[in-house]
Amino acid sequence: MRTVEVLFVIIIILGAFIITTQFAVLPSPRQIFGTSLRELAASTLQTIDSKGELSETVFKSPSDISWGLLQKALPSSLPPNIVYNLTVFDILTSPDGVVTYRLVKSISDARGDLGVGSEAASCLVASPEVTFSITPEKIGERTGKNITLYILNCDDSNGWWITGYTAQTLASDLHNMLSPYFETTILVNTTDQLGLLLDGTSLTGEDLEGAVVINTCGEAVPVPSGYAEQYSAGSYAEYCYVLGQRVNQHNWTFVSIVGYPLYYVTNTVKFADSDNTWGIYGMVHVGPAGLNAFLRGIDNQGYSYDSSWITGDIGLVEFTSDARDLSNYYGLYPSPYHTATRALPESIENKYNLVRQATVFEPKGGYIAGATFSHMNGGALTAIGLTRIPDIRVSALALLMYYRPAFYRSEFGASGTSRLVVLQLAQQGET
Amino acid sequence: MAGSTIDHMVSVTLLVAVLLLSFGIYNQILASAIAYERSRQVAMKAVDLMDAICLSPGNPPDWGQSNCTPSSFGLQDPESAGYVLSPFSIMRLVSSGGDMAYYPKTGMWYSNVSMGEGGYLLTPIADCINYTTAARLLGVNGSYGFQLSIMPTVTVYVSEVSADPLRFKVEVRGPGLAIGGATLNYYLYRAIENPEEDYPLIETFSGINQTDSAGLAFLEFPAVDRSPCAYSIIVYAHLGGLAGVGYASYTSIENNHLIPFVESFEEGKVLLAHSWDLNTFPPPVSALHYNATFLLLTEDFELRQIQLDDSSGLVNYGEGKPYRRVQIPTSEAGILLVSYRRGDEDEYGTVMIPWGISTLGVSVTFGGDPSGSEWVATELRQVIVSEMPYQVKLAVWSLED
Repeated sequence: MRTVEVLFVIIIILGAFIITTQFAVLPSPRQIFGTSLRELAASTLQTIDSKGELSETVFKSPSDISWGLLQKALPSSLPPNIVYNLTVFDILTSPDGVVTYRLVKSISDARGDLGVGSEAASCLVASPEVTFSITPEKIGERTGKNITLYILNCDDSNGWWITGYTAQTLASDLHNMLSPYFETTILVNTTDQLGLLLDGTSLTGEDLEGAVVINTCGEAVPVPSGYAEQYSAGSYAEYCYVLGQRVNQHNWTFVSIVGYPLYYVTNTVKFADSDNTWGIYGMVHVGPAGLNAFLRGIDNQGYSYDSSWITGDIGLVEFTSDARDLSNYYGLYPSPYHTATRALPESIENKYNLVRQATVFEPKGGYIAGATFSHMNGGALTAIGLTRIPDIRVSALALLMYYRPAFYRSEFGASGTSRLVVLQLAQQGET
Repeated sequence: MAGSTIDHMVSVTLLVAVLLLSFGIYNQILASAIAYERSRQVAMKAVDLMDAICLSPGNPPDWGQSNCTPSSFGLQDPESAGYVLSPFSIMRLVSSGGDMAYYPKTGMWYSNVSMGEGGYLLTPIADCINYTTAARLLGVNGSYGFQLSIMPTVTVYVSEVSADPLRFKVEVRGPGLAIGGATLNYYLYRAIENPEEDYPLIETFSGINQTDSAGLAFLEFPAVDRSPCAYSIIVYAHLGGLAGVGYASYTSIENNHLIPFVESFEEGKVLLAHSWDLNTFPPPVSALHYNATFLLLTEDFELRQIQLDDSSGLVNYGEGKPYRRVQIPTSEAGILLVSYRRGDEDEYGTVMIPWGISTLGVSVTFGGDPSGSEWVATELRQVIVSEMPYQVKLAVWSLED
């Protein structure tokens, strides 16, 4: 009787054993012990295409001799126990947008299928006959205008709040970033040249009207000697007023890249013995009166000295959704978070008849850390009221947001321009 | 009563037997599962380490071209993407393949990447990255061991088959098979007598050839004899995206040789030492007049000679006779070729040092020794090192078993 009970127990134990073994699934040995064939295939494709041979070959006729070279090169680069299958597909796009893959050629050193243990990597190669390019639209070409970009690169001026940079290095960076979007880009190399522009004289016959003027000196603005002598009232606030007038008169967009705009005037020859109260010579302290005068100038109000501080210290600010989108569109990726200590107040919009456009940072507490303020009668001020050190890409983004030039991109997916190459690898002896 | 006892005994015996059998089988299953899991972890660690080494340049990214110790380890070329390795970062690894060399005049030990005759890569241990440092930077110190082998995908063997006139046999092989139809770009540099100076002149011959279906080719120089000169021949083979390099050298001097040591990776300084200062040998011992030139490798596998400042001089031996120093451009990979002459004898030699491992197809083995480990996972990748395809093999094992 006991034996029968024990037999029942044995049956239960064996049943439990069988059920357990069904669920205790171990990973396959290949998964553990095999080389990562997918990575090997990907690195092999990259190696073979390092000098463009793969890209050239896959676009040649299937009977071309270069396929033979590829067929020699592939097994020669792989370990002896690895077999391969390289397949090339043409990518065809129908007029209604349906993409199909047509087999062009397949080469292999394996007999038959590579088996379920094989792994594959693929890459998309572009035809060497086709150039994929991104052509930026020139600002103003939509309206038939030839807009000039002036970058103040005056060697007889100093910068402030551009710590770690010089105006010249910033000018060079801006030139690289923005010149593709402008028909003409001119580096203004001396304050005398700036004086010519303020007088309405072009430097090389370029179009002066509607130009963009970027001040790379930070909180300081270069002043030509003649203008410094003529408009020195209010510790040169009067010069800032005249500058505002010229911006309005010629419909310029004036860009201040960091801090409090027009807080100092700079001319290393004229102000050789003056410092900005912080030990930087070649500068004169104007204070808040510079910006106030500039805004009166752009609004064609009469000149008056007003030294009241108008900017706000609003701390952390973040990109607007528009700025995030366009940052991606133009491929400029400054941090979306910054600290603003010199943000302009919203009140200037009513006070000086300005319209805020292309807001870079979300307004905070009635202050705007970065935007372009355009005047209804012409002229605009792009002010980036962030703390030092400037990220010049923010200024570039602000300008591009304001003008919104388009990109003309080549289509990678256009028929006949790209082919898909799939390299499948397997270890010999597997099924 | 007796029947009942027997019944009990039989049932207990059966039960115990089945329980023992089940426990044994369960133990086996559990042990296998644990072993599989451990092996899987090691295999995954191998993939992680391979990606970290090949797809990251480390920090600072240009540590291969400086003398600093990086704060993170990686061998990717900082100016490229994907599986492209820096030839300079690899040069800074302490080789585990050759014996270290001690040079008394600098009082320093040098990592010795063993190369063929006429080629040296001796780098100062103090400025190189050793296995322990790399393991610490990769976060596996004490938990996993690894060995990194970086080998050219294509091997080019060059051997002299005839001295007068010079004739060479070239054999090109991949890992799997001989490579037929490969284009060969070859350069022969011969050290010959300089009628105006004590140091030798370097005479250059170059040409293009192709391997046959067995991967063989013969290079002939009908008007060039070997004696009494010395030579170095460098052959680049390429086919359909694959490329490799091989070389051979001959020197007519016995014992007296110039040995180049890397002094500074950052400044591109190479010391030229007399072989007597490393291992004394019986007379004749003579000072060596040398003439150095730098060969820059272009994308088309051409070697362009770059003149160096202070490219010639005299290397003497013994105490009070300092080594000489040449400085080479550090921005591009190339080869420092030094020809030399023993005293005023009609005996010559040549020696080469690659600047960036790929220019002479140097293989590097770095890391620990996997022998004796219970289980070793390996990963393989194809990479490019300064235009040359290489294979990187990484062996990883657990140190916690």
